[in-house]
Amino acid sequence: MPKIEISLDDLRTLLRSSISYDELEERGILFVKGEIEGFSDDMLTVDIKDTNRPDLWSVEGIARELRGHYGVSEGLPKIKIESSGISMNVNKKVEKVRPKTVAAVVKGLTFDDEFIKQIIQLQEKIHMTYGRNRSECAIGVYDFDQLVPPINYTTVKPDGIKFVPLDFTEEMTPGEILEKHPKGREYAHIIDKFEEYPLMIDSEENVLSIPPIINSVYTGKVSQETKNVFIEMTGNSLERLQVALNVLVAAFHDRGGTVQSVEVNYPRETVVTPDMTPREFSIDPEECRTLLGLDITDDEMTDLLKKARYDAKSVGGKIKVKYPAYRNDIMHSRDIIEDIAIAYDINKIEPDPPKISTIGHADKTEEFSDIVREVMTGLSFQEVLTFSLINKESLFTKMNMEEGEVCEIANPISTTWNSIRSWLLPSIMDFLCANLHVEYPQKVFEVGDVVVIDESQETATKTKKKLACAVSDPDAGYEDISSILDGLLRSLGIYYELKAKDHESFIEGRSAEIIAKGESVGIIGEIHPQVLNNWGIEKPVAAFEIDIDGIK
Amino acid sequence: MYRLTEEGQRYLERGLPERRLLEILESPLEIKEASVKLEDFNIAMQWAKKEGWVEAKEGMLHLIEKPGEFQVEEALKKVLKKDELDGDIAEVLLSRKLIEEIRDDIMQRAKKLVGTEITELPEELISTGLWREVKFKPYNVESPGKQIHPGKRQPYQRFISSMKRKLVELGFVEVTGPAIETEFWNFDALFQPQNHPARDWTSTYQLKHPKHGKLPDEKIVEQVSATHQDGWTTGSTGWKYRWDPEIAARLMPRAHGTCLSARTLASGPDIPGKYFGIARCYRPDFLDATHLIEFNQAEGIVIGEDLNLKNLLGILEIFAREIAGAEEVKFLPDYYPFTEPSVQLSAKHPELGWIEFGGSGIFREELTKPLGIDVPVLAWGIGIDRLAMFKLGINDIRYLFAKDLAWLRESKVV
Repeated sequence: MPKIEISLDDLRTLLRSSISYDELEERGILFVKGEIEGFSDDMLTVDIKDTNRPDLWSVEGIARELRGHYGVSEGLPKIKIESSGISMNVNKKVEKVRPKTVAAVVKGLTFDDEFIKQIIQLQEKIHMTYGRNRSECAIGVYDFDQLVPPINYTTVKPDGIKFVPLDFTEEMTPGEILEKHPKGREYAHIIDKFEEYPLMIDSEENVLSIPPIINSVYTGKVSQETKNVFIEMTGNSLERLQVALNVLVAAFHDRGGTVQSVEVNYPRETVVTPDMTPREFSIDPEECRTLLGLDITDDEMTDLLKKARYDAKSVGGKIKVKYPAYRNDIMHSRDIIEDIAIAYDINKIEPDPPKISTIGHADKTEEFSDIVREVMTGLSFQEVLTFSLINKESLFTKMNMEEGEVCEIANPISTTWNSIRSWLLPSIMDFLCANLHVEYPQKVFEVGDVVVIDESQETATKTKKKLACAVSDPDAGYEDISSILDGLLRSLGIYYELKAKDHESFIEGRSAEIIAKGESVGIIGEIHPQVLNNWGIEKPVAAFEIDIDGIK
Repeated sequence: MYRLTEEGQRYLERGLPERRLLEILESPLEIKEASVKLEDFNIAMQWAKKEGWVEAKEGMLHLIEKPGEFQVEEALKKVLKKDELDGDIAEVLLSRKLIEEIRDDIMQRAKKLVGTEITELPEELISTGLWREVKFKPYNVESPGKQIHPGKRQPYQRFISSMKRKLVELGFVEVTGPAIETEFWNFDALFQPQNHPARDWTSTYQLKHPKHGKLPDEKIVEQVSATHQDGWTTGSTGWKYRWDPEIAARLMPRAHGTCLSARTLASGPDIPGKYFGIARCYRPDFLDATHLIEFNQAEGIVIGEDLNLKNLLGILEIFAREIAGAEEVKFLPDYYPFTEPSVQLSAKHPELGWIEFGGSGIFREELTKPLGIDVPVLAWGIGIDRLAMFKLGINDIRYLFAKDLAWLRESKVV
């Protein structure tokens, strides 16, 4: 799902191979579950399908994975971590606001335009998807040489300190930033319920940032001159942050940086981050062979795993794997088996339709609905298809009825579609109202679902299939629609009766209840002129609505 | 002028009774037998004897001679064609009540038209044969017919019906389910963690009223809950959080058709078995040329011992051929939250080139095991909205739910 832009040249440099565009498009990009969606002027637009693999959301990560598949460098990527000797102190006050943080230092970097672009893009993608729009993970990258360690992670009152946020020139308080800065307004909802906001600040009172909102101009701007960076992340789950930090430092590492760790001192414990210790899992090679339907040996499996950047060896009938600490998508042996299939190349697997013989059949109500549709078209009615989302006004007010109980959407995108229809005729009226200038007579029908409230059901509602049918013409009347109902029900072999019954949507004395098998299954009549006025329809309409299950 | 009576008409169609009698008398026949064999036997005997064509002797019927032609029959043919009839034979036919005289008023009306040029052809000219005496005004037969509007299926709905038939032919059983679902069936049973962004209310609808439904069978709920929290016995690590039944009971319009598959798996399906459903689904999208406010999803499953990835690819290949009419297919590794491995099917359409045709995979064990299924389940979905657009040749997706009656009336039946 994440769409990223990368430079093909840059990819080739990082891959240390001059892969052709065709090879990349047809085969290479599939190794990272990607698809090339655009290519112009050296820039590729790549859709990376896996929303659980943030390590693949930058050119560095894609190149790292492809180096394995193209034999440049197989097995677990080696990322050495030194100690920076720097610490970060976490104040107890953040516990209730935004409790977790991790940090790292990367030295000896040479930033160029492409590198800066990739890092910003990676940060944005992590913020959005993996970081749940910054609520679970917000990243700050700073010019290390502007900071005076140790760094303090604490909180600040909305009017507690003033600093210049990125993209601005004047000093502002945290409260003012939340109110006035575009990023402040966008992300205020994450922290504005607290009395104090999170604050990153160095030992000389230089503000780094108000996480997860914005960095300060002084420290938080990375440019081509920057050589060394300090990275911090904040959120609610340490594990989640550690994975994201590993993703980011792995990308910096691949650009030639030296990764250094930071001691993060929580009130009761100290955590050293980043922690690149590989994770371990063990799979049963037999499960892999059975699931993929492939006759491959344990050795072939370990070879394929190495191409997918795992370390793998056969131990006592199992395959023990180590995978990089920047991955957290592996929950089950299946996740690893899929990587084996991808490394094998799924287009090399011979498709083999299952030899299962079953007798198919349609759902009874659905099948009957198709028969009803056939008869209705035979009666020269045009079938229509409408949305089941509608609004209460159309369902009740416009139909001349008291407002009743109906399924209502809590978060509609528009008031036009804030409810699910409880009957079908309003949809038909809406259709007729959209066709006032089309040749009459208009004869239309729909077989469709409606939803009624029924607290006794598991879903507190019942989905029902209905047929609604209407004829509109300068001289359309009751007989024009009752003859259609008669033609339909006689064709279906259903004995029925009409019993006079008034209904707000129909003219008094000109509507009836449709009774079949002793049950009331629908209503038929001439639409009330008030209803026609409400819909802006200027020709008479005669219509019926009937319960499909009631006549099945 | 005469016209045929009902009896005359019948004899003309089936042959005179006397003709039919002579035809069965190739060799002598018992009278009793002949009377059983022949409808109208008495009438036939009366006339055949009178003409001296047959003779009855000792209970047997003998053929004496067969006439070259039956005058009565020839006369009936003449009456049908409104040809002139000799007086004598007319008497015979009248006495046998095989013809009757045309009513005088009809005759009079017909005679009035003689010698004129007519547009419509009235009944009396046909029954009297006097059409021979009038002139037919030629029409402009080259102008196209008057436009009428036949009753037709809605094109998209017709497409869906044909798709269902195809899937039934391929051995799939159709299932249906409620349009309003609990989050349990829409998400939890599919192993979507409760804090997943896909469950965010910007990605799916929630209900204001009614708000909550009921959770299903306790055992299933417990197994799903345990799988979310620590993987239960599925071999998974689980999502490592506290699963909340309150969230699972919330109601929403279903966001995908996969809840049908989950319900099917939990309902004790046939193993092996194949199921499919076409479901109306809801997601908060604005209506424009490429987005609908509600859409249809076709989804299905194949359940069976020993099913594997090769079988999945096999099923996809059949779909591409049978449903999209594609000759060539390509498989792309993909990511779907419910399946692992996951494969997207790309099919080469004869005219349109490569199209993304559908997603598929093998359901995660974290999904199948808590629902009581211990064998592999292949799952697939077909993007039928897009496929219908190709098939119907429309570029604006809103036309799948066209509100335009003139367009529907003009639409081709394909």
